[in-house]
Amino acid sequence: MDPLIVTQAINVLYAVSTLAVLALGLAVIFGLLGVLNIAHGEFVMIGAYCAYLIQSWEWPYLVALPLALAICGVIGWAVEWIMIRPLYRRPFDTLVATWGLSLLLRKIAEGIFGLGFRSVAIPLPGTVDFLGTEYPIYRLVLIAISLALVAGLVIWYGSSRTGSRIRAMVSNPELAQAQGISVRQLAAGTFVAGTCLAGLGGVMIAPLAPVQPFMGLDYVLRAFFVLIVGGLGSVLGLFSGAAVIGGFDSVISAATTTTDGYFAVLVLAILFLWLRPRGIIAHS
Amino acid sequence: MSACLAFENLTGGYGSTTIVRDLSGAAATGEVLCVLGRNGVGKSTLLKLLFGYLPCRAGRVLLHGKPVDGLDPAARRRLGMTFCPQERPVFDDLSVRDNLTLMRINRHLSPFRSYFARFPILERRLTQQAGTLSGGEKKILSFVRGLAEDQPVVLLDEPSEGVQWENILHMDACIAAKKAAGAAFIVVEQNLAFAERIADRYLVVDQGRAILEGTRSTIDRERVLAYMHV
Amino acid sequence: MRTASLVVLVAILLPLGLGQFWAYQLGVYALYATAAVGLGLCWGQGGFLPLGQALFFGLAAYLSGLAFIALRGVPAIAMVVMPFIAIVSGVLAYAIGFVVFRRPGESGAYFSMITLALSLLAFQIATSWNSVTGGFNGLKGIPGLPGLDDISDVYYVSVAALLAVLALAGWLFNAPIGVLWRALAQNERRLQLFGYDTNQLKSVAFGVSGLMAGIGGVIYAPQQAIVTPQVVGFGLSADLVIWVAVGGRRSLLGPVVGTLLVGSLTSQLRDSLPFWEVLMAVFFIAIVLAFPQGVAGLAEPLARLLRGQRVRPPILAAKNPTDKPPTRLTLDGVGVRIGEVTILDRLSLDFDQAGIFCVIGPNGAGKTSMFNVVSGELATASGRIGLGETCVNGLAPHRVTRLGVGRKLQIPSVFPGLTIADNLAIALWSGRAARLQLLDPRLRRWTSPVLEELKGRYSFLVSDARKAAELSHGEQQILELAMALLTEPRILLLDEPCAGLSPDETSAVIDLIRWAARRLGGATIVIEHDMSLVKELAELVYVLHNGTLLAKGSVAAVQADPAVRAVYVGGEK
Repeated sequence: MDPLIVTQAINVLYAVSTLAVLALGLAVIFGLLGVLNIAHGEFVMIGAYCAYLIQSWEWPYLVALPLALAICGVIGWAVEWIMIRPLYRRPFDTLVATWGLSLLLRKIAEGIFGLGFRSVAIPLPGTVDFLGTEYPIYRLVLIAISLALVAGLVIWYGSSRTGSRIRAMVSNPELAQAQGISVRQLAAGTFVAGTCLAGLGGVMIAPLAPVQPFMGLDYVLRAFFVLIVGGLGSVLGLFSGAAVIGGFDSVISAATTTTDGYFAVLVLAILFLWLRPRGIIAHS
Repeated sequence: MSACLAFENLTGGYGSTTIVRDLSGAAATGEVLCVLGRNGVGKSTLLKLLFGYLPCRAGRVLLHGKPVDGLDPAARRRLGMTFCPQERPVFDDLSVRDNLTLMRINRHLSPFRSYFARFPILERRLTQQAGTLSGGEKKILSFVRGLAEDQPVVLLDEPSEGVQWENILHMDACIAAKKAAGAAFIVVEQNLAFAERIADRYLVVDQGRAILEGTRSTIDRERVLAYMHV
Repeated sequence: MRTASLVVLVAILLPLGLGQFWAYQLGVYALYATAAVGLGLCWGQGGFLPLGQALFFGLAAYLSGLAFIALRGVPAIAMVVMPFIAIVSGVLAYAIGFVVFRRPGESGAYFSMITLALSLLAFQIATSWNSVTGGFNGLKGIPGLPGLDDISDVYYVSVAALLAVLALAGWLFNAPIGVLWRALAQNERRLQLFGYDTNQLKSVAFGVSGLMAGIGGVIYAPQQAIVTPQVVGFGLSADLVIWVAVGGRRSLLGPVVGTLLVGSLTSQLRDSLPFWEVLMAVFFIAIVLAFPQGVAGLAEPLARLLRGQRVRPPILAAKNPTDKPPTRLTLDGVGVRIGEVTILDRLSLDFDQAGIFCVIGPNGAGKTSMFNVVSGELATASGRIGLGETCVNGLAPHRVTRLGVGRKLQIPSVFPGLTIADNLAIALWSGRAARLQLLDPRLRRWTSPVLEELKGRYSFLVSDARKAAELSHGEQQILELAMALLTEPRILLLDEPCAGLSPDETSAVIDLIRWAARRLGGATIVIEHDMSLVKELAELVYVLHNGTLLAKGSVAAVQADPAVRAVYVGGEK
C-alpha cells in the first residue's frame, strides 16, 4: 500500500481516537447528568500542566497521571458541591456557572505559568516501522491507550453494578432513590469521573500540543461538536461523532489549512444542529 | 399491637398547591391499610409524603414510633421502608435480573425462587430489558422487587394496575405470607375486589381528606363504592 | 426622562472633571460599552448568553477600517457607509440566531457554544487572512473621522454613539417587545402557547445586539487608526461577559457601569496587582451564583426615586383578527407515541357545538396529552387534528394558538417576574398586535371589554404594580385563566382550572367559566377530576382510558356505564 495513504489513515485514526478520549469527560457529564461543563477544556489544561511540571522536576512521565487525577478530582468534587448540585439537568445554567470556573482556572494558570507556550517533551520519542511506513511511536501508543480506555469504560459501564446504578439513576432518579441509591453521591462521583477523564486526556496529549492557559477552549468546543454530531447518551454516538469531526478536520486540514479545517467542522456542527438536532445516534 | 408506620394530621402537596389535608392513619405489624379513592384525590401524594419525596407542611410520620420528618427517601429505606411507585415502576434500561438485584449484596437469584414459582414470567424474561415488558408485567416485577427487600414496612401504589386476575390472586397470597411474618403494608388501590381480599383497615380519601375509615368488618361497602366511582 | 437627562449631563461634564487621559480611556471603553449593552439585552432581558459578542464589534471595525482605507480621499462617503456596516453586523447576528434557535427543545447552551466557536473562528480568519486584514499585526493606517483631531473629540463621538445605543435599548426595554423578551426568559413554553414565535423574538434580540456592537465597531476603526484580531476574538468577548455580569445584566445602565468601571480599572491594575484578574473571576462566579443584579443593583433604590410614577389613561385594544366564528375541533384516529410507549391510541373526538365539555379518566389516560397534541407540543404518529377545515397536525404551538386555541395549563403558569398588568397585556397583544406595533410603548395601556369584565370580577387584577410571583396559588390560577380568556379563543382548553382553589374561589371560577363559554360562543373543554365540578359544568362528559375514548354522554349516562365502572372500581376477570 502506498505509504502516504497509510500515514494519512493512521493520522485519521489518531485524530478520531484522541478526540474520543478528550470528549469522553464531557460526554459523561453532559450526556448522563445534563450538565454543560464549559470548564472541561480547563481540566484538560490542568492535566497538560501537570505533565509539564512532572517533566520539569525530572520525574517519570507516568507520575503526571496520579497528580492530574488528584488535582482534577479535588477541584471537580469542590465544584460539584458548590455550583453544580442544584443545577442538574439544566445545561444553560451550568454553562454560565462553569464559565466563571473556566475563567478562574485560566487566570490561575496564567498567574502561575504566564501566558507563554510551554512544551512537554515526548516521553517515547522516535518512530517505528508500521505497516510499511515510519510512524511516531508515541502516537501509536496513544491510539492504543485511547481505544483501550474507551472500550474498557464502555464494558465496565454496561456490566458493572455501579454502571447499572448510574444508568438507573439517570433514567429514573425517583425509583433509584426509592431503592436506596444515594443519587447525590452517585451524581457527584460521576461528575468527578468526568473531570478526571479530562485531566487524563490532558496528560496524554501534552507532548503533542502547545501547553498554554488558553488551550482548553479548543478542546471543549471540539468535544461539544462531537456530542452535537454524534448525539448524547450513547457510546456509539460518541464514536460516530468523533469519527465525523475528527475525520473531517484531519482530512481538510491536511488538504488546506487548519483554519479551513476548523471552519468546516463548525459549519458541520451548525448543519447538524439545524437539520438533525439529536445527532446521528439519537437516544430515545 | 404497636403501629409500624403511623401518620398524624398529614398536610402537604406540590409547590404551592395543597393536595393532602389532615390525613391520619396507621398500619400495625402484620396489618394492611388500604387507601382508596378516585383519581386526583391525593392517594399517591400521601405515599410520597410517607416516603419522604415531598415535605410535610403539617403533621408527622412515625416509623416504629419515631418521627422520620426531614429524612430523604434513601434514608427512610435504610430505616426499613420499601416503596413501589405507581408510575415508572421499573428501570426500563436495565434487564429484569438487574432490576431485581440492583441493590442486593450479590446477583444470586435464590431469594426469588418462591416468587418465580408464582410468577414464572419473570424467570422467563430475566435477560430481557424491563422496558419491553407489558404494563402488568412491570408491575409484577416491581412488586416482587419490593417484597423481596424483606423490610418491615411496605408501601405499594396500585400494585394491581394492568395485572391479570390470576396474578392478582398470587399477589394476595404473597402479601398474606408477609403479613404472617410481621410486615406492615400501606396499599393504595383502585381495584375494590383486590382491596377487599387484602385489607385489614380502610381509609377512603376524597379531595385530599379522609372521608371514611374502618376495619374489614365495620366498613360500609356501598359507601366505599360511591366514593370510588364517578 | 429624569434619569436620561441626568445621564446625559454626567456624560457631558465627565471629561472636564477627569482630565484628558481618562477622557480618552473612557472614550474607548464607551465604544466597548455599546457591545455590552447589546449583550445585556440578550442575557438580562432575553435570558440567553452569547459568548462571542466581539465578533460583531470586530467585524464592523474591520469593515469600517477597510472602507475608510478604500475611500481615503473621500472620508465623508465612508461616514455614509458606516451605518450600513453596523446593519450588516445586525443582520448577521439575526441570521445566526435564526439558524441556531430553531433547534427544538432547550437551545440556550448550544447557542452559547456556537457563538463562542464563531468568535474563535473569526479570530483565526483575522489572523491568517493577511492580505485583507493585515494578519496578526492588524489593519493599520486607517484615516480618522474628518474634522476631529482633539483627544476629547474621541470621547464625545464615542459617548454620543453610546447614548444613541442606550436610547435604542431604553425604548425597546419599555416597548411591548421588551416585555415579551422578559417573559420569554421566564417561561418560554407559556409564551409560545400565547401565539408568539419565541425563536423569532430571540433572533430579533440577538440581531439588535449585533447592531449595537456594530455601532461601536464602526467608530472604533477610524478613531484608533488600527484594528487588530484582538477586537474580534475571545479575549474581548469574555471581558464583555464579565463586565455585563459585574455591572448588572438586567438593568439598562448596568453593562455600561461594568464596562467603564471594571474595564478601565482592569487595564490600569492588571500589571500592578498580579492576581487582580483571579479576583475578578471569583467576583464573577459570586455574582452569577448569588447577585445577578450586579453593581447596578446597589443603585436600584436611587433609580426608583428618579423614575417616578405617572398613571396614563388606558387605550382600547385593536380588534382580534381571529375574530372569526367559533370553530369545530376534531381528532380523527390520533395516535401519539413516545419511544415504546403509546400515549394516545386512535383517539377520535368531535367537538362540533358550543358548550362546556368535561374530559375525565384515570391517571395516564392521556387527558393532558390530548391537550398537548392539539396545541402542537406533541407530534402525531397517526391520525388528523382539525380546526374547522384546517388540518393542524405538525404546526408549531404558536401557530396553533394563532388559529384560535386558548389554553390554561395544569400547573398555574404565568410570568412570575412580570407585573400583573404586563401578564395581562401579553395575553391582550396575542393575535391583535401587528409585528411593528410591538415597538410601540402605548400598547402597554391596552384594554378590552373582556379585560374590564375580568377586572370587575377580580379586584386583584386591577393592581398594576404587583409581580405575579407575589400572588397566592389561587390567584395565580385565576390570573392564568384570565389570560387565556383575554385572547378570546375559538376553542378553550382548561386543564384542572379549580385545582388547589378554596370553595369560594371554586364557585367564582365556575361562574367565570360559564360566562366565558357564553361570551366566546365556542367549545370549552375542561379536564377535571372533581366529579362535583363536572356535574355542575358539563353538558357532555368524555371518558378517556389508555389513550382512547371509553365512553361519552351525559353525567348520568357515564356513571351508569359498566365499562366506566370497571375502570374506576376494578373487578374480577
